[in-house]
Amino acid sequence: MKIFTCTPQWDAMLTCIYEAAESKLSHKNMRLLLEPLEQQSFLDEYIHVDADPEKAEKVAKSIITRISSYFYLELAYTAMAFEEDVLDNIYHVLLLGFKFGDSALKMVQYKDIMRNREIRTRVIREAERFREILRFHRLGDLYVAHFEPKSRVVGYLGPRFQDRMPSENFIIIDDVHREAVVHRKNEQYYMWQINEAEYERLVQTEQENDEYADLWKAFFDSIAIAERANEKCQQSHFPLWARKHAVEFTFDGKV
Amino acid sequence: MYDLRTNDSLKDKLTILSDAAKYDVACTSSGVSRSGKEGYLGNSVAGGVCHAFSADGRCISLLKILMTNHCIYDCKYCKNRVSNDIERALFTPEEICTLTIEFYKRNYIEGLFLSSGVFKNPDYTMEKICETLRLLRNKYRFNGYIHVKAIPGASEELLYSAGLLADRISINMELPTEQSLHKLAPNKTMKHIIEPMNRISGTIAGHRIAIGKSARMERCGINKYLVNSIFGPETAQIEGSSDNPFLYPAQKSDALLRRPFAPAGQSTQMIIGASDETDLELIRTTQALYQRFDLKRVFYSAYIPINTDEDLPGKDIPVPLLREHRLYQADWLLRYYGFGAEEILTKENPFLDYRIDPKCFWALNHLDIFPVEINKASVELLLRVPGIGPTSVKRIISARKYGNVNFEMLKRMHVVLKRAQYFITCNGKMLNPTPIERRFIMGQLTDLEHREVYQIEDSLNIGRQMSLFSDFHLEMT
Repeated sequence: MKIFTCTPQWDAMLTCIYEAAESKLSHKNMRLLLEPLEQQSFLDEYIHVDADPEKAEKVAKSIITRISSYFYLELAYTAMAFEEDVLDNIYHVLLLGFKFGDSALKMVQYKDIMRNREIRTRVIREAERFREILRFHRLGDLYVAHFEPKSRVVGYLGPRFQDRMPSENFIIIDDVHREAVVHRKNEQYYMWQINEAEYERLVQTEQENDEYADLWKAFFDSIAIAERANEKCQQSHFPLWARKHAVEFTFDGKV
Repeated sequence: MYDLRTNDSLKDKLTILSDAAKYDVACTSSGVSRSGKEGYLGNSVAGGVCHAFSADGRCISLLKILMTNHCIYDCKYCKNRVSNDIERALFTPEEICTLTIEFYKRNYIEGLFLSSGVFKNPDYTMEKICETLRLLRNKYRFNGYIHVKAIPGASEELLYSAGLLADRISINMELPTEQSLHKLAPNKTMKHIIEPMNRISGTIAGHRIAIGKSARMERCGINKYLVNSIFGPETAQIEGSSDNPFLYPAQKSDALLRRPFAPAGQSTQMIIGASDETDLELIRTTQALYQRFDLKRVFYSAYIPINTDEDLPGKDIPVPLLREHRLYQADWLLRYYGFGAEEILTKENPFLDYRIDPKCFWALNHLDIFPVEINKASVELLLRVPGIGPTSVKRIISARKYGNVNFEMLKRMHVVLKRAQYFITCNGKMLNPTPIERRFIMGQLTDLEHREVYQIEDSLNIGRQMSLFSDFHLEMT
């Protein structure tokens, strides 16, 4: 079996899909995987594909013109996921898309479509969760937020926070994947890949806590009704793994 | 009249006034979608956004505070009643604005929920509230969500202003009948609650018609297509008709903001368990409020014994959390599933069965229409199957266009098969060969619900398991 691999960037993924389609292999004899690979088998042949903007654009264009931009967007959302089979799944969904058009996404009778829906729902739920629980810290007139998602959701958050605070300067930093959304007052936001030196500096920003974080903690404690205390319910809505950067749960920087 | 402690620190005030507001349950940030504007702060999302979850598991979406907990009224169930000796505080409008803005920028909250005790008189209080909102909208250029409580008895101009400045306006009904209101809240009358509610719904309808929408609020999801739902075409017109709206806002500038009047609608809340209403009365009142005043939500709040009074349940009576839970389930049946109040409860049977949820209870009493064939049944019928909700129905309908649906797919669509399996067939077959018999299914369902019921009651420490360490003071060495 031939296995095409690429880094988890969207353009690299599209290039990988292009190369896989170009190889003219039957779909049963190949897989597409994201790097880093967990365990390699010596029976398979691994082909690393580098991102090529030209090929990626070709794929993107043909998805948008031959299927629809909605379909393209939904696939891009799926691509944020960390699941192992996500690229393989996108490839198979794409084949169905070229066959049936836009409505392929509703044909849950196909296992790939069902799987795609599962991944997409999970990713968007995760992204929406961070939209809720992201916490900004103030540094002068800049607001900085750190978070540690499982999937690469920072691209989903960018437009939403731009709409929420169009006239503020802010940065949203994904500490795990080292990506950031940078927004300047009254301008369009952009994505930024963070290098080690930048990360070292940015990580310190979280130690800055102001009086409003204190006030928030006071509010958070007094708003709960003691007679109705329900830790399980709280935990199911706000799981422990997500609490790392939420000021109301941290005490001296620890959960 | 009062010892006004205005020199408290902001933190003390926030603690006192959020503590005083915590019993208000209507704190969603939903109902209106509005994108952000350059130069302003904030937007609004129709589905609402929860930003945190407090220790009682309820979501924190808005900065829920009272402007003041000074109150001239003496409602027996309320913590802030005038005869209670508690710490009192008062926010200035500027303080409320900075708190909202600073919290909002840090993504702690989605907006402001502003209520108040009645300070001096209803008009004075409402005027202060309006002043705060005006400051927040105009000076601080806040474009996020605001939920404001209307003070019963305040004048019309002020209520009109408040509605123009806020997104949702609500008047607390507290108790569903005149008698219990008279008994527990002697300063309030039903007239002072129903009349402004009527006016507000009329004004909302007027504003909606003026911009080319329907007089009634949109109901989200699949509900708007249901013919027999309580919001369907056959229901009565909104009582507060658009020819009886508020006429003038308190300040001309509020009308010049060109904001729609309360675009997220109005809501109300009722206390459960403080007086002796039946569930049927509560559900019926709820339905009437939805139909006649087009309320967006009716909230229930389980009575928590704060005060001792001969008219109130004693302090040792447990908080009726399970009852509240079942009432909310019934409320959902009204709003999303096309049920009517009379279908859920009858006069002979005026209380919900707390062992199982109201939808299962209804299904058990109507076993003649089951099992339902998933691949053929109508939307209305699918919605009546326990374990299948509006989202699942949408998924099933869209999947049916392209082929047959089987149990494997239902499972992946997150249909709750452990409930639904007794009531459905896929391609003519049931999942397991179970009899369609009331006693059998009741036994199975109560077994499932047992955990849920236990969890809710457990949080009240009824029937708590004995623990060697805490009960007998044993400690690990």
